[in-house]
Amino acid sequence: MNNLWTVMSFTMKTKLRGKSFLTMTILISVLLMVASNLPYLIDKWSSGGGAVKVGYVQGEQAEIVAAVDRYLGTIEEPKVALVPIEAPAGAAERSAAMRQAIEDKRIKGYLEFKPGQDGVFPSVTYLSKKVFTGDASQQLQAALLAAKNDAVVKDAKLSQEQLARLTAPVSFDALQLDELDGTGKTEQERDTAVLLTYVVLILLFMSVMFSGQMIASEITAEKSSRVMEILVTSVAPLQQLFGRVLGTFIVAVMQLIVFVAVSVVNLSLPHNKVSFASLGIDFGSIDPIMLVSAVLLYLAGFFLYAMLFAAIGSLVSRTEDLAQAAMPVTMITLAGFYISFFGLNSPDSSFITICSYVPFFSPFLLFLRIGLAEPAWWEIALSVAILLASILAIGWLAAKIYRTGILMYGKRPTLAELRRAMKAYKV
Amino acid sequence: MNRLVVQQIVKRYGDRTAVSGLSLEVGEGEIYGLLGANGAGKTTTMRMVLGLIMPDEGKVTYFGKPYSRELLRTMGYLPEERGMYPKIKVSDQVVYLGQLRGMSRKEADSSLKRWLDRFEIPEHYDKKVEELSKGNQQKIQFIAAVVHRPKILVLDEAFSGLDPVNVELLKATVKELRDQGTTILFSTHRMEHVEELCRNITIMHRSRPVLQGAVKEIKKQFPMERVILSADHDVNGLDKLPGVSAVVRNEQGYEMKVDHPEAAQSILQHALKQGPVRRFELKEPSLNEIFIRTVGDRHE
Repeated sequence: MNNLWTVMSFTMKTKLRGKSFLTMTILISVLLMVASNLPYLIDKWSSGGGAVKVGYVQGEQAEIVAAVDRYLGTIEEPKVALVPIEAPAGAAERSAAMRQAIEDKRIKGYLEFKPGQDGVFPSVTYLSKKVFTGDASQQLQAALLAAKNDAVVKDAKLSQEQLARLTAPVSFDALQLDELDGTGKTEQERDTAVLLTYVVLILLFMSVMFSGQMIASEITAEKSSRVMEILVTSVAPLQQLFGRVLGTFIVAVMQLIVFVAVSVVNLSLPHNKVSFASLGIDFGSIDPIMLVSAVLLYLAGFFLYAMLFAAIGSLVSRTEDLAQAAMPVTMITLAGFYISFFGLNSPDSSFITICSYVPFFSPFLLFLRIGLAEPAWWEIALSVAILLASILAIGWLAAKIYRTGILMYGKRPTLAELRRAMKAYKV
Repeated sequence: MNRLVVQQIVKRYGDRTAVSGLSLEVGEGEIYGLLGANGAGKTTTMRMVLGLIMPDEGKVTYFGKPYSRELLRTMGYLPEERGMYPKIKVSDQVVYLGQLRGMSRKEADSSLKRWLDRFEIPEHYDKKVEELSKGNQQKIQFIAAVVHRPKILVLDEAFSGLDPVNVELLKATVKELRDQGTTILFSTHRMEHVEELCRNITIMHRSRPVLQGAVKEIKKQFPMERVILSADHDVNGLDKLPGVSAVVRNEQGYEMKVDHPEAAQSILQHALKQGPVRRFELKEPSLNEIFIRTVGDRHE
């Protein structure tokens, strides 16, 4: 027990002192800082640059232009602004004048009206050097539609009341039904859950991969530098293995806490609240069960993969061979990660349900299902039971492999060689 | 009862036998030499003594008791292929290894400092291992093996790769440990070290012990058959003397092989007839020769 603690604290100390750990933590923290401010920054930049200035020939289609302008006036932050340009008559001269205006940076592009097919409303073309951004294009289209409605409705001689009813927006909401108590998740809650799932999946994947690779490469490094020979004569292999995994785990958790703290602090800055709210995300609506299951599944996933990587690290004698040897486990991790990303769009599909019982995938997929689908309690229990059983089985097997592998040098052993060696070493 | 007793141990890897029927005993304050060519089974033997692998047959006892995990704390090991953490400070890793063997952090630290002073390298306490010269890395490695004051010490090729000054320093240290009562199992290719340090030896060849016993006794078993002669003048007709089987002339004089020790006397008389003799010696065989002969004989 004492030695377990010694190995653990040594593992932690060497990692925390290492330059790579510090660099990595700072780098990812900065990335997170940028990412959590991204919606705000995008808002700022796209509106900070002001609305896209769209030119039109002064005097042409005055009614439509006036209606469009009116519509844009009702929007809080219009992405489009109309700019009248004086242009001489004649198609060629007109287009030359408009191009000149673009060159002079007075406008980004301009509108050209041609007689429409129905004869009532002209067809409109936007001409510019750069592609129209989505928001601005949508707004302009909506504005033109409003202008058309105006034009049509005016002839119908509707009352103000009728007019208001006609133009009132349709209220549309998607609601997720909850089988248990009949309360549903609002779209906002759902969006938030998707985002949280997304973030947790990425964190789980990165943490598992980084820590796993780190554990494997340290074991291999100890083998290739032959420190292992002294270590095995000083401390029982099991204590060594678990001490290392636990030490790495604590460091990984510390790192995660830094990341989460950075994100939470940044997300709760006042300017970000508005930006996220406009994206339909409200962090207050996060289901606490999701957070608890995120923590528990992270634990499970970490130890499952850490053991696998440790076993592989113990089989390889040279660091150069490690990546190749770790390939199968890396592939499994990647598979779990990608399946769960596929599952973000269809968390209820039977493929996802089946995969969530596979222990290597369940840390990813069970979380996804808890967050986005509504698995029955026995489904969760079964999945967790399989996962825990496999962690024990893999831990036991990894310990056996580790015990044997750390004394084997030379080329990577085949399965048969490994079995023979296990017998020879009596493990 | 001797501290370390190895009885008829056998180790097989699949159909290959690594060690077969080896027995040896090492007492308190004794250095026991384990000699053999590469692949003779020395490292496997040492691993069994250290409890890293269990013998298939036979047993190893320590202080009269079978192997147990607690025993590890009384043992020290210097592996043949040296290894420390290259990027970690000397103090950190030696203290770590000491702690793993049951010392407190403070004890390990003061023991390390004492050893660094002993090797006259106290300034390396705070350096990373990769910053040290090879000789100093070896010293640190040695300190890591003895920092916890082991009662049984296993040294695999302790002096390989060291310059003569450091070999002497380490040799003196090993003798000191022996005089303090440490039981030392020592393997090497370098016979001159064995002659100087070891009381008893085993020569292993292809997994078997082929020659065992006290160095003095072993030497007595091999006849004295080498004669060194040097004189100020040329000595003629040496190869015609009865019992002389080979004559080699070198810068210092002559080296001859005789069939029986009496033949040496006739060489001396023969040389004296031709003038004064500066040096005459009937040499006992060196361990090196014994080793080559014992192991070489079995090559056929």
